[in-house]
Amino acid sequence: MRVLIGEDEALLREGLSLVLVHGGFDVVGTARSGAALVAASDELRPDLVITDIRMPPGRTDDGLRAALKIRATWPDLAIVVLSQHLQRRYARELLDAPTAGTGYLLKQRISDIDTFCADLRRVCAGETVLDPEVVALMLSQARSEHDALHRLTPRQHEVLTLMAEGRSNAFIAHALSVTEKAVVQHVSHIYSELDLPPSEDDHRRVLAVTRYLGR
Amino acid sequence: MASGSAVTRPAIMDSRGAGIALLGAALLSMAWIEISLDVFGHPTPLWTSVLVPITGLAYAAAGAAAWWRRPSNRLGPIMVAGALVLLLGGLGDTDVPALSVVGVVLATAPLAVVVHLLHAFPSGRVRSMPSRYTVAAAYAVCLLLQIPLYLFAPSASPHGMLAAANRPTLAAAGSWLQIGAGAAVMVATALILAGRLRATPAPRRRVLAPLYGYGIVAVLLVPLVPDVLRPLAGLTPALSGAIQVVVLAVVPVAFVGAMLLGGFARTGEIQELSAWLGATAGRRPSLATALAAALGDDSVQLAFWVPRRDGYVDAEGHVLPLPTPDTGRAVVEVEMTGRRVGAIVYDATMIGDPGLVRAAGRVIAIALDQQRLAAELRASERKLRVSRARIVEASDRERRRIAQDLHDGVQAQLVLLAVEAQRLAAIPGTPGSASEAATRLRLRIDDAAAGLRELVYGVMPAPLIERGLGAAIEDLVDRMSLPAKLDLGPEEWLPGQVQATAYFLVAEAMSNTAKHAHATKIGVRLTHLERVLIVEVDDDGVGGADVGTGLGLPGLADRIDVLGGRLRVESPAGGGTHIVAELPCGS
Repeated sequence: MRVLIGEDEALLREGLSLVLVHGGFDVVGTARSGAALVAASDELRPDLVITDIRMPPGRTDDGLRAALKIRATWPDLAIVVLSQHLQRRYARELLDAPTAGTGYLLKQRISDIDTFCADLRRVCAGETVLDPEVVALMLSQARSEHDALHRLTPRQHEVLTLMAEGRSNAFIAHALSVTEKAVVQHVSHIYSELDLPPSEDDHRRVLAVTRYLGR
Repeated sequence: MASGSAVTRPAIMDSRGAGIALLGAALLSMAWIEISLDVFGHPTPLWTSVLVPITGLAYAAAGAAAWWRRPSNRLGPIMVAGALVLLLGGLGDTDVPALSVVGVVLATAPLAVVVHLLHAFPSGRVRSMPSRYTVAAAYAVCLLLQIPLYLFAPSASPHGMLAAANRPTLAAAGSWLQIGAGAAVMVATALILAGRLRATPAPRRRVLAPLYGYGIVAVLLVPLVPDVLRPLAGLTPALSGAIQVVVLAVVPVAFVGAMLLGGFARTGEIQELSAWLGATAGRRPSLATALAAALGDDSVQLAFWVPRRDGYVDAEGHVLPLPTPDTGRAVVEVEMTGRRVGAIVYDATMIGDPGLVRAAGRVIAIALDQQRLAAELRASERKLRVSRARIVEASDRERRRIAQDLHDGVQAQLVLLAVEAQRLAAIPGTPGSASEAATRLRLRIDDAAAGLRELVYGVMPAPLIERGLGAAIEDLVDRMSLPAKLDLGPEEWLPGQVQATAYFLVAEAMSNTAKHAHATKIGVRLTHLERVLIVEVDDDGVGGADVGTGLGLPGLADRIDVLGGRLRVESPAGGGTHIVAELPCGS
């Protein structure tokens, strides 16, 4: 798996590279600014781009803008955006047209190396991975907008949250210590309660859910 | 002046009016006597008999008007004297020998008066030495060089009363001398006036140039009509005489016209200034405007003395350097009880008499002193505001720097430390207890990082740095448990200080609502007006909030004040809280 890293902090760049190499990824390049990231992805054609949001030259959202630009040019390229602070707005922009795997995670999640590498592989496989914190932001906002959410039971809420994070039924069953069959029942109830179109694979499911929450 | 109609004219003006009226009556009766003598004396047409007296009366009327409007300006008296000279000169046509003699002596004197008027306009004073010599020469040409004409030609005066001998050659020589000297006077006059026009600002030049031009033409034309124009155009003596008189009659009309067009003062009454001082503050124009109207000089400037700076400032508190004499502007200092309070800067070409300006200065001294204090205060207030704004700006800059430093420094370090701890846990062969301890360490580092993220968010939130006010408020609402309604309007560029102030106001208001208000919902609205941002935060809680009590709001009130904005908090008990801030956004 060929990975391009966008990070302006030298130590973090090194740390992230080590984690990725250790996790079996092939780090093909690093970039220290938004423009350099765009240029490097054009040149190196990686499978995955991992970038910090705040990067030179603007030190605002240059990394995110570079990621969206890369997505417009290379729709099949998987993208993971890291940040010290998560915003619902950025999640919405990233998931607006997810032509390939997309991830939006807190930078600190790198430290849980195994989970982080597993998440990257899922993104490479075309899935969506959202940080629990940003899903919580989306849910809290959606609760004040949609009455349907109030009709869900606490357990269904937990299932919905994990669905939005991009988790599979098996993962959810394991996380909540229930059977996969029970999860399927919860999911179908959530679908009918929120009036969502049925979808088979996890990727489409997370999009439907996040779109519902971000509406 | 706006309140002019309400001002009763003081007694001193009535007495002046009475004096001028008396003089007018005297000149009028003189003109009447002259007309009667002329009309009944010989069989000339009526219009030639009345033309000279009527011209005299035109001078008298114009002079009286100028004298009334501007008592300290000598143009009025000069014109009234001109009226007298004209009427006396007109006596030459009567049949009464004693009176006729006066007319012969003063026959060309009106021309000297016109020269005098030209040099004295608009200030009424003949200031420069060349002007003084030229005016004196004009009177000499018209009065002294007139003498040979009647002294050596018995035909010039009735019964040769003024003649000493019959010497036609001497009379002719005297006549040529008078013409030559007169021409020299006019050349000098033209040169002096041209020089003066050059130094005059363009708007006034438009008034002065035609006036000067006509004056010079009139003085040249009047003597030339009988000797040059009459033979050339074949005019009758009566008609050529009429042309002379009409040309002279237009002179006072031209001067009054120039006066009304702005050549000089509309009103010159220092008393008007006193009336201004007595008017209620709301109705009166500014002191400088009133002074400009009173002095008849729109360019008048007031300078306020600031002892601390050892210099002058204008009404807004800006430093005002006094003009140098070569600019044509002059300065009169205003004192009060021996202490300098300010100065009046005026146009020296418009106002020839510094005494008038000094008198005006004495009248306005107290008002000037009061405004001086205000100007001084304004200067220091602005200085204070600028320094407070600098402090707020510096604190915002510091917040940004701290947030950025933490982001690049400690936050990055904590990620690496946690990675390090997790890798320790995963090293093959590590005993289970050590591995668990390393994982626990990683989780504690993650907790520390979460705490640091909170701290950084409070110092300067990432959304505000990265995306501005709208995104930051949206993010704030996302992290709040209370349902919120946002109306942020279109995203527009706002100065950094305004964004930060608006953000911290909304953050503080929302935090207060969450903590104290027991509200079920909250609303935030941003309205972008031209050059002002209106921030509103409403909740439906218990109310009773006060700018003075909360710890955050007074600090915010200060911040808003620094921006020149306003903060209003309405929070009746049981009626929710409504906070409105108006933040000017500069240019």
